[in-house]
Amino acid sequence: MSAPRTPRDELAEATAHGGLYLRRLIRSQLGLSLLALVAFGGFLGSLPLALYLLPGLYDVELFGVPLPLLLIVLPPFPVFVAFGWLYARRAEALEEAFRELVEPRE
Amino acid sequence: MIALAAILATTGATIGLGVYGVRLARTTSDLFVASRAVTPWWNAAAISGEYLSAASFLGIAGLQMKLGSGALWLPLGFTAGYLALLLFVAAPLRRFGAYTISDFAEARLRAPRLRTLSAAIVLLIGGFYLVPQLKGAGLTLGEVVGAPYWVGVVAVGAVVALNVALGGMRGITYVQAFQYWLKTFAIALPACLLLLHLGGLPERAAMFGHDYPRAPEGGLVVSLPEPARATFPEAATVRAGGATLSVGGGAEALLPAGRLELPAGTAVPVAEGTDAQRGADWARPVSDRGDASPLFVYSLLIATFLGTMGLPHILVRFYTNRDGPAARRTTVRVLGLLGLFYAFPAVYGALGRVLVPELYLTGETDTVVLRLPEAAWPGLGGELLGALVAAGAFAAFMSTASGLLVSLAGTATHDFRRGVTRAAATRRLRFRVAALGAMVVPALLALVARELDISVLVGWAFALAASTFCPLLLLGIWWDRLTPRGAAAGLVVGATTATTAIFAGLLLEPSPRSLDALMTQPAVLSVPLAFATMALVSTTGPQPRRAPNAELLALHAPEGLGLGLEDEDVDAVRA
Repeated sequence: MSAPRTPRDELAEATAHGGLYLRRLIRSQLGLSLLALVAFGGFLGSLPLALYLLPGLYDVELFGVPLPLLLIVLPPFPVFVAFGWLYARRAEALEEAFRELVEPRE
Repeated sequence: MIALAAILATTGATIGLGVYGVRLARTTSDLFVASRAVTPWWNAAAISGEYLSAASFLGIAGLQMKLGSGALWLPLGFTAGYLALLLFVAAPLRRFGAYTISDFAEARLRAPRLRTLSAAIVLLIGGFYLVPQLKGAGLTLGEVVGAPYWVGVVAVGAVVALNVALGGMRGITYVQAFQYWLKTFAIALPACLLLLHLGGLPERAAMFGHDYPRAPEGGLVVSLPEPARATFPEAATVRAGGATLSVGGGAEALLPAGRLELPAGTAVPVAEGTDAQRGADWARPVSDRGDASPLFVYSLLIATFLGTMGLPHILVRFYTNRDGPAARRTTVRVLGLLGLFYAFPAVYGALGRVLVPELYLTGETDTVVLRLPEAAWPGLGGELLGALVAAGAFAAFMSTASGLLVSLAGTATHDFRRGVTRAAATRRLRFRVAALGAMVVPALLALVARELDISVLVGWAFALAASTFCPLLLLGIWWDRLTPRGAAAGLVVGATTATTAIFAGLLLEPSPRSLDALMTQPAVLSVPLAFATMALVSTTGPQPRRAPNAELLALHAPEGLGLGLEDEDVDAVRA
């Protein structure tokens, strides 16, 4: 009598089933990365456009510095870190879910 | 003299730590196995240390002063590149156990010929990237000891090549981490003191572009090494070579070599190739001018966002992470560390307009970071701070150039011949010869590239990397239908398009500014073209006989499940 086949067997033996599990993992990770890319691209990509379309911002000054200058020197960097941190957390959670699938904890 | 001592100390410490480190780590594999205990913070500092080059330390401020605030997109792109790396590359590549892009190309697609093609592109990108580092070295040594430009290029090229050839700087994590903090301290301390000092500066108006840079109270005296063409933004009367010279506003004049005196308040004339800017022209990061046009800005952002992952010396550092999640955590920290550093170059670019406006006339705006401390505080204080920035600049191109040269020499040694196991002594000798050889061409190019801005040169390396290795990595990691033929076609098309555009732009100087901008930074065109070629040739050509399940599993399966590659397997193969 053979033990029931687990997702891990399917993956290790590279069966068609295993291929499906693998592709599901890749698709979920890729989905997350693309979502992050769109969000980040939207943020960084809209910055040049906004500064281009709103030339009036140049006349606004903060601490004697024209606003457009200040806007691209300081605030984007903390936002980058926030994007990265959130993404890394979600990606690890997806891997945890995959691990659960392959090696269910009793 | 203080500055020279600081430079020698930086160089000595780098070589010393490198030589000491080699005694600890004899082979690449030893080194990486040992380094897996490195924590994400150390790793992140090391990655940032190797990444922050002459372009970041000197180039950004120089280009900002020269072209205006559009240059400030560079640090954003340089940093954002690590976000692309984080989202798509860091964890899978760490798991895959590929040290280099050539390794990845060969192992993922099972195509040894791709290794040779990738290796050729590695040499091209690395060469492009070495040139600006050497230019930075030539400028810095010229500023500090008054040596001719070529002396610095040759001296630093020789030191870096010998150091790498003798085995120093073989990816010593702690040395690179130290270099990061040295560079950040060296750029941050003078910048903070300058900001505090701001209140006392009368000429604030010119700083943010409200006015043309003007000769300060007491006038400005510049000594021109050779006759120079310059454009006067406003009508002015100056004394040039002992004679009085009156020039109308907007007119160009040939200034004789020697002493040039500008009376107080004169708008400083600008060298050929520079536009005198004021007001929104200088301060707006995007405008209708060619080198700040939206098309150019987006092209630059694309090149840097996608190009970082394709630089030859970057990926190898990710292998010192313990596992995939650690690689991600490291990258998040890199984003923070780079952001910290990049808060400061803009201070120099803005203040340079006021404190060292003569650079507009000599055209050497790339030296603004080095010049500023002594211009702000004549005397011992300025000299000490000047020594600090000079040491930081040296750390910048020493670390980047060494990292690049290690990758280039490794590529030249290993990737062009396969399957021949030679004695270790022969391999070491080959590596040494390659390290020396790989420095020669970039050094020669640096000697003729003095006129080109550091940041522009670096922009090319990024454009090339984004048009070749970025599609290879992204499609290779995430798309199971990429074929060797598709990858090869995409690499060739991307590399050819980007290189042709850059050289054509350089030689022809096309007339509409937007076309010129596009050729200077062709990424917006060449990257999609490379992606499309890879995808199209892969889907229309013959399909691989089997799905690349084992490779994809190795890339994506979480550690500890016994599914992907374990480090021991990889080490066994690489040993």
